[in-house]
Amino acid sequence: MERALERLMRAIERILALVLLATIALNFANVVGRYAFGRTITGADELQTYAMVWIAFLGAAVVAGRGEHLRMDILARRFSSSTKGVMRIAELAVILAAGGFALWQSVRYVESMLRLGANSPMAQVPMWMPHSGVAAGLALLILVALWRFARREL
Amino acid sequence: MSFALGIVPGVLLLLGFPLYLVLLAAVSIALVFFMNIPYAALHQNLFGAIDVFALLAVPFFIYAGELMGRGSVARRLVDLVQAGAGPLRGSLGVTTVGTSAIFGAISGASAATVATIGRIMVPEMQRARYPDKFGAGLVTAVGAIDIIIPPSIPMIVYAAAANESVPRLYAAGVLPGLLIAALLAAYVVFYARRHGFDPGTRFDAPALRRALGRSVWALGAPVIILGGIYGGIFSPTESAAVACVYAALVTRFVYRDVSWGEIVDCAAVTVRITAQIFIIVACASVYAWLLTVQQVPQALVAWVQQQQLGPLEILAAANLLLLAVGCFVDPLSAILVLTPLLVPIVKAAGIDTVHFGVVMMVNLAIGLFTPPFGINIFVAQSALKLPVETIYRGLWPFVLIYLAALALVTYVPSISLFLWR
Repeated sequence: MERALERLMRAIERILALVLLATIALNFANVVGRYAFGRTITGADELQTYAMVWIAFLGAAVVAGRGEHLRMDILARRFSSSTKGVMRIAELAVILAAGGFALWQSVRYVESMLRLGANSPMAQVPMWMPHSGVAAGLALLILVALWRFARREL
Repeated sequence: MSFALGIVPGVLLLLGFPLYLVLLAAVSIALVFFMNIPYAALHQNLFGAIDVFALLAVPFFIYAGELMGRGSVARRLVDLVQAGAGPLRGSLGVTTVGTSAIFGAISGASAATVATIGRIMVPEMQRARYPDKFGAGLVTAVGAIDIIIPPSIPMIVYAAAANESVPRLYAAGVLPGLLIAALLAAYVVFYARRHGFDPGTRFDAPALRRALGRSVWALGAPVIILGGIYGGIFSPTESAAVACVYAALVTRFVYRDVSWGEIVDCAAVTVRITAQIFIIVACASVYAWLLTVQQVPQALVAWVQQQQLGPLEILAAANLLLLAVGCFVDPLSAILVLTPLLVPIVKAAGIDTVHFGVVMMVNLAIGLFTPPFGINIFVAQSALKLPVETIYRGLWPFVLIYLAALALVTYVPSISLFLWR
């Protein structure tokens, strides 16, 4: 189980890296298209920012898996080990509460997008797809927090 | 309300919680217990903060910098600047300053510059009998100009938060960045003369020409980025994408520094750095939005106007606040939380928000290397394997030089605004 999650995180990181490269290529293709052929790819801007939403939120889970989120730990580094023990429970609780609340709102939003069947204005991407990047990232973030807590890494 | 948006994040921050979580917890508590706003606003703001075309430049510039940071680009730039600065007293120190400035015009992040340039220059300065503390302090301090010299990632984030134009901010950062570099270089020459080391070498024109030939491809990156933006050829985001393609071609095919695998590896590193930044951008945007809904910025503006402060006093107060915050918090988080609060005050006082953006960058740059917590100190410590006390002792003169530059940049707005009229 643990190995599976680790492998999943690595796979996600690789996929996001390829998505990033594709985003760069798309942006570059648009520049070349504008100057060489006098036209651009419709909806390219939308596709790029949607890719960025997925990179930001799923990537945040990858970063959490490595314990690399930015924090100001000047004081926290000096806590006694028993205080640190309380803190990791507190951190997990806050992730579950605040992350869970945000996840719930995201899922509801994605549901409403699915119901409305809304598409993006230019690229005609179904809007539930970019929006579910937030939900997927938050869900994975919570999963990672539980996993790290169980392994006493949090 | 001040409990949810003030006390909660303050306490969690001090307890060492991740910054995104600090902000997310604060906004969740505010929404659930104190405000009468549909919860859907939470998701809309998280999503909307990242669904911004201008922000694409952040991962793109990070990626271009990652590629150029691998392999031989830094070494080539060092050789070039060294060939040019050779005749000066303190030439190795001046080379450190010059190379960091050029490297800053390729990448937008300052930690990478400290590590990359430091690993090359600190051993050379040690061999030339520079005092350890001087070399370490110099490398640590000079890397911070990267967030002032374009392309700067914090400036993109400020532009998004303050609704300003990235090209205007970039233009405004050039002279202040060069000013700081010039002050640092002058101090190096003065220090080397006073302590009698590194007399410099004879000027060697053929060596300079050779070094230029070896580094001309690396120098192409800033030319493409800045030339493209100001020639009206690309938007800043496009210039960043072009810089990525250029960096990939140069490092893969011209210098043969990276393999195909490393091109993907750099993208994976970029994904992680981007996510680290963007998750804070997203959560901070909800936080800033709630502050605006609560009319906190407006109340602050009214309060400041009541104090009848002039623009100079407001700038002085902002400097003190930013310096203090910058010493504890990373530049991006500081920008994201403080910009929505400070920019309305600054605007009401008739201060140019582009000028203020540069003032903010200089302040936060100082925070990057001010003891005891400046993040670049720890970058230097791990990259250079020097005791942190040595770095501390070497930093103070540079803190003073940056403060002098800050005073100039703050009170002579034309240094920032001269290039864009």
